[in-house]
Amino acid sequence: MAETDRSPPLVGWNLKLSASSFHKLSALFTLACLIIVFSFGNPAFFSINNGLTVLLQTAVIGLLGIGMTLVIITGGIDLSVGSVLALSGTVTGLCVKAGIPVAPSMAIGVCVGAACGLFNGFVITKMRITPFVATLGMMLIARGVALQLTGAAPISRLGEAFGVLGNGSLFRIIEKGANGFPKVVFPGIPYPVILLAIVAVAAAYLLNRRQIGRHIYATGSNEEAARLSGVAVDRTKMIAYTLSGALAGLSGNVLMSRLITAQPNEGVMYELDAIAAAVIGGASLMGGIGNISGTMIGAFIIGVLRNGLNMAGVSAFIQQILIGFIVILAVYIDQIRNRR
Amino acid sequence: MNLHHAPSSTPLVEMVDIEKHFGGIRAVNGVTLDLYPGEVVGVLGHNGAGKSCLMRILSGAMIPSKGQVRINGQDAQIHSPHDARDLGIETIYQTLALADHLDAPSNLFLGRELKTRFGSLDDGRMMREAVDVLKRLNPNFKNLSDPVSSLSGGQRQVIAIARAIYFDVKILIMDEPTAALGPSETAMVSKLIKQLRDDGIGILLVSHDMHDVFELCDRVVVMNKGKNVGSHRIEDVTKDDVLSLIIKGQLPDDWVPRSQETVQ
Ligand SMILES: Nc1ncnc2c1ncn2[C@@H]1O[C@H](COP(=O)(O)OP(=O)(O)OP(=O)(O)O)[C@@H](O)[C@H]1O
Ligand SMILES: [Mg+2]
Repeated sequence: MAETDRSPPLVGWNLKLSASSFHKLSALFTLACLIIVFSFGNPAFFSINNGLTVLLQTAVIGLLGIGMTLVIITGGIDLSVGSVLALSGTVTGLCVKAGIPVAPSMAIGVCVGAACGLFNGFVITKMRITPFVATLGMMLIARGVALQLTGAAPISRLGEAFGVLGNGSLFRIIEKGANGFPKVVFPGIPYPVILLAIVAVAAAYLLNRRQIGRHIYATGSNEEAARLSGVAVDRTKMIAYTLSGALAGLSGNVLMSRLITAQPNEGVMYELDAIAAAVIGGASLMGGIGNISGTMIGAFIIGVLRNGLNMAGVSAFIQQILIGFIVILAVYIDQIRNRR
Repeated sequence: MNLHHAPSSTPLVEMVDIEKHFGGIRAVNGVTLDLYPGEVVGVLGHNGAGKSCLMRILSGAMIPSKGQVRINGQDAQIHSPHDARDLGIETIYQTLALADHLDAPSNLFLGRELKTRFGSLDDGRMMREAVDVLKRLNPNFKNLSDPVSSLSGGQRQVIAIARAIYFDVKILIMDEPTAALGPSETAMVSKLIKQLRDDGIGILLVSHDMHDVFELCDRVVVMNKGKNVGSHRIEDVTKDDVLSLIIKGQLPDDWVPRSQETVQ
């Protein structure tokens, strides 16, 4: 009986489609268009190897975007992720240099990211400073600490093990070629891509099926109502910012591992890519709306755009201009959607 | 009349000398109020008299500047809505306090979500329970899985009411619960209030509707500029008496308790 009550009438279904799924469908459509256009422009674009390159590039934006989505749903913003990424990566690099094995070093790096996020959450909830200002402060602090710790110089020669996370892959198939040289039959699924998939599924589960996820939506939807309903609003926000920081730390490790160098200058303006991914994917900067699958599509749109423009020989400056316009367009669409 | 408590029984709620200041504004200025089990007390007053503030203090949404609250004769420390709920105090806020982007069941169970054995949300059961309680209040209730922002004011109010009665309520605060309701839903709420009263629940009803007040309340408390200017059994006053209290802050000069009128 309850089941018949659940299935909404046809009109309701149509309305639903136009609200959230419509946005996701149009984003998917945009992604497909981009892929088709770039494939026509350059046949090398639509190849397994380039596909993997895009996936790899998207992994970092995707991880940052997932954290950003959690924060944006609470009605906040996290401008510090690019800097926290750099700080976490350099801390991991310094730990490896100091002789600590790679895995614990990376764990320390991620914890530093989480600590930055926790600090953000503390400043926002206990000191009542707006997320924009609080995380802008952390953006400078984390970058400053990263540069100070390293004297602004990259840390290189970190050893082969440090590069595994960013460069290794699963199911790589290599055959001995006729000429005796090894030949890559299937390049395998890169670890960063697997990591992204795991984190995305976990985050979606958290948002949709766990109490904390429900509270994240409630907090962004109507903070006062959430508080009156007994939701621990401050705790909920702290968790969101801490997760965002931890994911920034994780993506920092992925990025530095791929370069096999800890770069305190890495990740400048990555927060904008992360915000763009979330917003293109349907997250609302007003809070209360957003989801992981949308953000993944958004991250892919940016990844494909960057990659395709690169292959088409478009300069980095023009790319910035284009992505800037796309972000404005996405936020504009978000506003139109809210006005309805 | 509806005297369900022996006069000597302990009050469910005693609010003593409550004050709430906002800078120079004294929103609540030394109010004392009590509520017995199975009693409906109307809280009346002009706009801005301090009714909502007083109710929000009892429901933990606001911390009083001064004063004491006792529940069942025991000092109670109500510092958050959570504390109030633990004491069996449920509130229908004037602002309804709904999370717009969530659907009706999510709002109904917000902060008290039902979970499966594995600790994940049991949305199926929450939906079934929500259907039960919402249909009881309004048989025509549809759109249970739409975000509540797309519902009508009346439907939203029904969700707020359902949320207050679904859980084990002992003290119910209703801040203008029928403001957005149509006649048949209002009748439903009146019936519900009588039912809850008969179950021994104490109800504080904030309302501007004299008809409702005289139909439902055992007693009225009138607030004027943050003060309690009169607490009367409903059979002792007429509508004009109450209006005079609300507007002028005092009873008509020639007032005598109506229950004693015949004696004189
Ligand atoms: N958070 C607040 N900050 C400052 N002043 C407030 C706050 N909440 C209420 N007030 C003031 O306290 C006074 C009482 O407000 P309250 O909401 O209790 O009135 P009310 O009796 O419920 O009125 P209404 O019938 O319009 O609902 C008003 O003057 C109001 O401006
Ligand atoms: Mg009020």
